[in-house]
Amino acid sequence: MNTILSLGATALATPMLCVISFASERPPVAPVIWDTEVETVEASAPKPEPVKLVISADAIYTADGDMIKGGTIAIAGTTIAAVTPGGVSSDEDGLHVAAITPGFIDLSPRINLADFSVEESSEVVPYLRATDAVDLYDPRWTRLLRSGTTSVLISPAAEDVVGGMTSVVKTGGDPTLESREVLANATLAGSFGSHASRGNSPVRGRPTNHFARRPTTRMGTEWSHRKAFYDTLAAMSHEDRKFEGWDIMASVLKGERPYIVQASATQDIRTAIYLKEEFSIPNMTVDAAAEAWREPGLLARSGMSVILPPFSAQGRTAIDNGFLSWNCAKTLGDLGVAFALSSHGSASPSGRLAMQAGYAIRGGLSFEDALASVTITPARLAGVDSRVGSIAVGKDADLVLWSGKPFAATSRVVGVVLNGELVTQ
Amino acid sequence: MSLLRNRTLVPIAASFLFGILPSASAAASDTVVIEAGRIITQAGDDIIDGVIVITDGRISAIGAAADIETPWDAPVMGGPDYTAFPGFVEAHTNRGMDRPNENLDVTPFLNVRDSIDPVNAYFEDCKRWGVTTLNVQQGNNTVVAGNGRIVKPVGVTVEEMTIRPDFGYKISLAPKGGKSRATQRQTLNRTFNDLRDNLTNMVESAKQDEDFARREALGQGRERDADEGEGRAMLGTGWTVDGLEMVKRSSIDEKVLPLLEMVEGRHRTFIYCGAPMDVQPAIDFATMNGLLGTATLVVDDSCWKAADAIKASGMSVILDSNMLHIERDPVTEEETETFVPSVYAEKGIPFALTSANQSTNSLWFQAALCVGYGMDRGAALAAVTTTPADLLGLGEVVGSLEVGHAGNVLLLSGDPLDMTSWVEYTVIDGEKIYDRSKDIRNKHLLYGVEPRGATAIESDASETPSDIEVDGVDKPTDEATEEEVTEEHADGHGDDHGDEKEVEETVKKD
Repeated sequence: MNTILSLGATALATPMLCVISFASERPPVAPVIWDTEVETVEASAPKPEPVKLVISADAIYTADGDMIKGGTIAIAGTTIAAVTPGGVSSDEDGLHVAAITPGFIDLSPRINLADFSVEESSEVVPYLRATDAVDLYDPRWTRLLRSGTTSVLISPAAEDVVGGMTSVVKTGGDPTLESREVLANATLAGSFGSHASRGNSPVRGRPTNHFARRPTTRMGTEWSHRKAFYDTLAAMSHEDRKFEGWDIMASVLKGERPYIVQASATQDIRTAIYLKEEFSIPNMTVDAAAEAWREPGLLARSGMSVILPPFSAQGRTAIDNGFLSWNCAKTLGDLGVAFALSSHGSASPSGRLAMQAGYAIRGGLSFEDALASVTITPARLAGVDSRVGSIAVGKDADLVLWSGKPFAATSRVVGVVLNGELVTQ
Repeated sequence: MSLLRNRTLVPIAASFLFGILPSASAAASDTVVIEAGRIITQAGDDIIDGVIVITDGRISAIGAAADIETPWDAPVMGGPDYTAFPGFVEAHTNRGMDRPNENLDVTPFLNVRDSIDPVNAYFEDCKRWGVTTLNVQQGNNTVVAGNGRIVKPVGVTVEEMTIRPDFGYKISLAPKGGKSRATQRQTLNRTFNDLRDNLTNMVESAKQDEDFARREALGQGRERDADEGEGRAMLGTGWTVDGLEMVKRSSIDEKVLPLLEMVEGRHRTFIYCGAPMDVQPAIDFATMNGLLGTATLVVDDSCWKAADAIKASGMSVILDSNMLHIERDPVTEEETETFVPSVYAEKGIPFALTSANQSTNSLWFQAALCVGYGMDRGAALAAVTTTPADLLGLGEVVGSLEVGHAGNVLLLSGDPLDMTSWVEYTVIDGEKIYDRSKDIRNKHLLYGVEPRGATAIESDASETPSDIEVDGVDKPTDEATEEEVTEEHADGHGDDHGDEKEVEETVKKD
């Protein structure tokens, strides 16, 4: 009943003590650099690490092929060493649960980056990085982790037009960016709708605060967006037109980096789609896209991906009052639009990401699609699917252990494995 | 302007019609038969392929279809695909009221009757989620609150809705806005101390009057006028004032009379505790004033820490809708999660769950969460049916499906705790008061905008709210095919949103 996490929150008060205690508690996790991942695996192949944890379950939902009815997962080091069907033993030394799913991935956890992290110097700041503002001691990390979310995308607040670069990080482990980061500068983040211009007013006389700036309307936001991409096109062909961060914008235009924009209301989703089509942005995702169900055809045509905000009881969501119908996920799934669910960081049992998948099922979505929408699909959208998002040999051992059928209202997350360590039970 | 106003009122008028029409049609026949593939009675084992016969609003027979003889001419509802379940009982709520809190401290002379709004969207939600019995009490931001009421979410007047009028009082140990805990308790204690002093003084004064009247009659050499009989000796297990029978009850200020009746054990009380530190004072207060037998504790999510004290007092609890208590250690900042209902279940304290009455945390969901956190399924279901019914003294009327109980039946599409189950029909006192296939708001929530004309074809205009709504919005031309209409509607969503918002606002204002 009581779940106590010791993730070094003490460090805020006593940083030195914390470092010492962590060093003594568990071996330091070697920072794994994304680009050298394959090399790391090969290097360790001749001398495999010993299996340190074996978990068996009545059902293993891999999010990568069919469900395995009865099986075991062996973990060596920080990765999955073997997934074996059958062989569920009832001996008492092994850990046995009702079901296992991959750790959840939340692309919109809205963690620790509030209005104070809004950059004031300009509305187009692609060169900023969310990781520079991230607070790894925020208590919400442990809430995310114990509810089953093992990786998240951290983004700058959506109060700038182009807000900066995001990173995929693990929700637990040593409180250092090096040990938690899965993919640095994973995507670029932008914003449509009222948030990008919220509170702004034109400069009159001497500007006294960051609200005295443009844009002040949706029109202005759209204009800033288009100007930024036109400037990027110019910078790509003219040396003298280069500006700070042009290369990051260019990587978006070339499809090397996904572009995730917040757009909740129908008109903002349309604006995002038109931007994608105008500049042929290959890999683009709308975040908090509550009203995606109104434009499923356009979304499917444009190849845009979608991150849905948490479901609400009366349909209205927090951002721009967008109306999210309960069958939105099903509608998108039927049309083949890639979509992920998100929790916006809710701590309550009814708002967590695991429950969002349950609500999507209540809205008509199939179990398999619901599972994918909190695991492998968000991993793909953020470009980290070769490391997390499904249960497969060689992938990170991030697992969610369930008391019953996943996503049922009568089931609960009873344990979470992060990087091969059982962190809650 | 008047046009706009009318337009906003039309859906409300439609919901009125919704409420009235079934009752009018049911009046013709006083017996209804409900069939279900599975009946969860909450009073013994489930019945497979069962029937429920409701006569004059009460269950007259329940059992396996093979064993029950049903009247041949009675209308039949349900079928083998449905699961029948007793209507949920909301043990305590202050929604559906104009404003739940009065700014005076001690207001037992007020009555929630004057504040309940029968067309509040909350009661519509209750039908949708299968809550058929509600204990409406004033809010927790009070010292001694007004008189509560038990209602069902049916009817356009409070009287129609009422199951038990003048039911219970809220008393709060947690500080009302602007008070500290010290001043809150001082106010509460003084209220009852003043009552005692006043009654004592009245008795003294009555004694003197009595003495004077006796001597006057003696002096005048006549028989005394017999005007006694209205007085009544004081009952109560906490304290009593001797000689109160000498005081006419009608001469006691109506503003404090309910307090006297509380001490006499004539009213139930719901004592709110906003923190564990409120629990023992609440128990002491209840003991001192003889309320232990009639009081129920309404506790917030942190009060599980005082569960031992509650257990020792023998009182029952009504839980907060937030069931997961998260506490952060002030030194280490580590968080501890406690699933509150499990604590009470383990201690053997009777507890009722309450909902925020949203789709996500309505009572079925609260019970499902309890099961997820390891509670026995039977105990979880009892906490939203039979336990709240017993707490409210309605155990012989609602909370389970038994002969003699009210005909409050939900027909669900599956198991009550299943994520994919929906309340398809809600039946209260044998009347079908909710039909999901006609629930426009639910369709809006589930599927977004309902395609225009989809429901108008089969039924006549006066019965279908969607049809009325369509009339209010820009009307499609007659030539438009159904497909065109659908597209147009999808584009014109702004209109529908406007309507929706306006309706909500109107409801709030009302």
